Amino acid sequence: MTPFSRRNVLLALLAAAILLPPFANVYQLFVANLIVIYVLLAIGLNILVGYAGQLAFANAAMFGIGAYATGLLQVQLGWSFWAAFPCGALIAAVVGLALSLPALRLSGLYLALSTLAFAQATQWVFLHWESVTFGAGGFKTPPLSFAPLPVDKPLGLYYLSLALAVALFLFAHNLVASRVGRAFVAVRDGEVAAESLGVDLLRTKALAFGISGFYAGVAGGLYSAMLNFVAPEGFDLFQMVLHKAMIVVGGLGSVVGSVLGAGVIIVLLEVLRAFKGLQEIVFGALLVVFVLFMRGGLIAVIKRHVRGWEEPLRLVQPPPTRPEAAPAQAQAPASVAER
Amino acid sequence: MSAAVLSVRDLHIGFGGVKVLEGIDLEVRRGEIRGLIGPNGAGKTTLLNVICGIHRPQQGDIVLNGTSVVGRKPSAIARLGLGRTFQTSQLFRGMTVLENMMTGLHRQTHTGLISAGLDLKRRRREEAQMEKAALDALAFVGMSEFADRPATALSFGQQRVVEIARTLIGEPAVVLMDEPAVGLSANRLTELDALLRRIRDQKGVTLILIEHVIRLVMDVCDQVTVLSSGRCIADGPPEAVRNDRNVIEAYLGKELRARHQAS
Amino acid sequence: MLLFSYLLMSGVTTGALYALVALGFVVVNKATGIINFAQGEFFMFAGFVAWMLHVQMGVNYALTFALAVGCGFLLGCLTERIAFRPLAKSDIVSLVLATVGIAFVLRGLARLIWGGKADYLSFPPLTSPDPIMVGNIMVIPQQLAVLAGTVVIMAVFTVFFRRTRAGKMMQATADNAKAALLVGIRTDRIYTLSFGTGAAIAAAAAVLTAPLTLLYPDIGFAFFLKGFAAAVLGGLTSLPGAVLGGLLVGVAESMAGGYIHSSVMELSPFVVIMIVLVLKPSGLLGGRAMRRV
Repeated sequence: MTPFSRRNVLLALLAAAILLPPFANVYQLFVANLIVIYVLLAIGLNILVGYAGQLAFANAAMFGIGAYATGLLQVQLGWSFWAAFPCGALIAAVVGLALSLPALRLSGLYLALSTLAFAQATQWVFLHWESVTFGAGGFKTPPLSFAPLPVDKPLGLYYLSLALAVALFLFAHNLVASRVGRAFVAVRDGEVAAESLGVDLLRTKALAFGISGFYAGVAGGLYSAMLNFVAPEGFDLFQMVLHKAMIVVGGLGSVVGSVLGAGVIIVLLEVLRAFKGLQEIVFGALLVVFVLFMRGGLIAVIKRHVRGWEEPLRLVQPPPTRPEAAPAQAQAPASVAER
Repeated sequence: MSAAVLSVRDLHIGFGGVKVLEGIDLEVRRGEIRGLIGPNGAGKTTLLNVICGIHRPQQGDIVLNGTSVVGRKPSAIARLGLGRTFQTSQLFRGMTVLENMMTGLHRQTHTGLISAGLDLKRRRREEAQMEKAALDALAFVGMSEFADRPATALSFGQQRVVEIARTLIGEPAVVLMDEPAVGLSANRLTELDALLRRIRDQKGVTLILIEHVIRLVMDVCDQVTVLSSGRCIADGPPEAVRNDRNVIEAYLGKELRARHQAS
Repeated sequence: MLLFSYLLMSGVTTGALYALVALGFVVVNKATGIINFAQGEFFMFAGFVAWMLHVQMGVNYALTFALAVGCGFLLGCLTERIAFRPLAKSDIVSLVLATVGIAFVLRGLARLIWGGKADYLSFPPLTSPDPIMVGNIMVIPQQLAVLAGTVVIMAVFTVFFRRTRAGKMMQATADNAKAALLVGIRTDRIYTLSFGTGAAIAAAAAVLTAPLTLLYPDIGFAFFLKGFAAAVLGGLTSLPGAVLGGLLVGVAESMAGGYIHSSVMELSPFVVIMIVLVLKPSGLLGGRAMRRV
């Protein structure tokens, strides 16, 4: 019996999330929606940084590209949100894919710095290509309507975000426990050995970059709809630290950890909203403390104390009904096995 | 042509003006265990690295199963039937032993982004097959009970064995082994000896071993190639090589060779 | 022609500053094989400390300089102890994230202590603000002071690395940490010294820059990127390379700003970094690839 297993806890959280709106005021619904959006983003980033081990700092840029693309397609080209949104996400995914090319030649520090430089360049474009992006002041996006459904925008957007988050969570959850997920971890833990087993580095890295770009793009599109406004300062350096803090605090290399991390960080962010300087100190310190003392993040702590939170990298079939299926009692033929 | 599963012809490679390998010729027959020995700095690991595609030679050809592999990516060469183990443990630390083994099946399996993410039947079927094959491979090397343990929980010798199994599960035609015996105790050495023979006899896999543990080389290898300072100085059955004066000189120097002859 | 020479002068001056920041990177990288993501924040923090000492408390310039550099040195040593030493054997992801965290802590601290996001502090110039004529070019004396200061600092460090025992030990550790250990060099102290020195150089650059620019908490990252661009252009393991890289980046930026558009100036570090890393990661004068301890 594992009452507090991951499945049960997540289902409970989901139920709470679904039932939340009637009990929440406007601000609380806003924060909840924000959490859901960042959950999406954190899952994608964790796949790239935590699973595939690619130290990339371009996530805030892709978040921004998703938001800008979604917004600009509506404002400049008159598209409806429902057409602009998937396109925005795809554009962010493509940009992510493009970033995987330098990732082949560069690794570790060089990759971190080049993606950081790329993120800065993206900010620059948002700020200075004023004819298209409206510059530093940003721009408003057209109001979103969920007609013919009888829901108002905040509610509709909340449920849309939630549905997308659940779907993409499940997708990621399946993905990491598969040949693809194992290829990611192989590239992270031993590139040369992975290659010797036939893992194509370019394809694997491209996939990881593309996925994180897509997830960030989806999050960005939703974000632009939520605020009805897009401006460069939402996607700056501070955002980058925020994203990294989410996956480090939640737990690198864990899909559930991303959910946890996003929740914790957003709540903290709102609590500290009044003092930007304090936010920087707290999130910076969180990064340092977790990296030094809690490398596995919160999820590692949970895994140690509560049963049912394992995240295997393979599809674990449900155990047969007979109890002796447990720890392998196969006879080890040679004595190679003992220590 | 001969039943050569791997041929190296007139291989030359250097780095930054320093010649590391010159004029290397190698013919390895199918099902053979070939030893590759030589003093430190002879270029043995470089030769393995060139064969598996990590470095590109300046000159020469490498033919695996009839296909030339010079200039291809390591993952492409792996997919043509080449496996490799390394001096230091290269088990994937973030996985269990079983997951490591399943990764070894990467090139024979096809589950991709969509079938994995959407959890299609195809994926479930393939995962079950992979799991079974991985368990069988673990049983072959006697490591079944470690299937669900994290790779890092194993001792050095155990990791070594699992790594060999992981390379084998992909059914390569040739496996390059870089000092498989390093750091093993006498007992483990005997087990490794037996394992290598079993691999050759039951699986028909060709092995090329870099080794410094001469006892293992003499016992298990069908043929031995000796490298020294980037050139091949001897090639033949173990006993012949052991008594070859060029080999003795390469290892021990001229003076000792003279003393050895005198005694 | 006048525009060109003005831009050149301006470019060389800012280039000298970038060179200093780049030197800081190279010093740390040579010894430890990593890039300290907090380097820009050391620069910023020392600049603020200098402002506090000189402007708020009226300490004279020379003493301010010394104290700010000392503060930088301390910050560097602290960072090494907190972020590098415990993680030296870990993977690169942890190391980078730890230094990023420290960078943000410093940034937040500076914001809390010295001002909000929109506050720009000005530092009075050392010399008279009246421009003087050097040949045909109009030059602000502070720019000359900056150049002179930079040259002096570089000379000091060249001597340090070539002549002093500590400097030679740092070179040895950079070349081969294991061998250095074997001959009795306390490599852990060397790492601390490297971080501290790198930060001290950044602090010196900040105090020199302060009269020429306005100080604000976000200035750190801008100089980080530019300093890194300069360092990587020159070759991350080459001290003279850092100087060359800095000058080139400064001049290129100045020219681009003058002849194309001023907004392009902020884009220059990105362009430089991408071109260098894609075409020749070892930079102009760099030798071996970056090695980790």
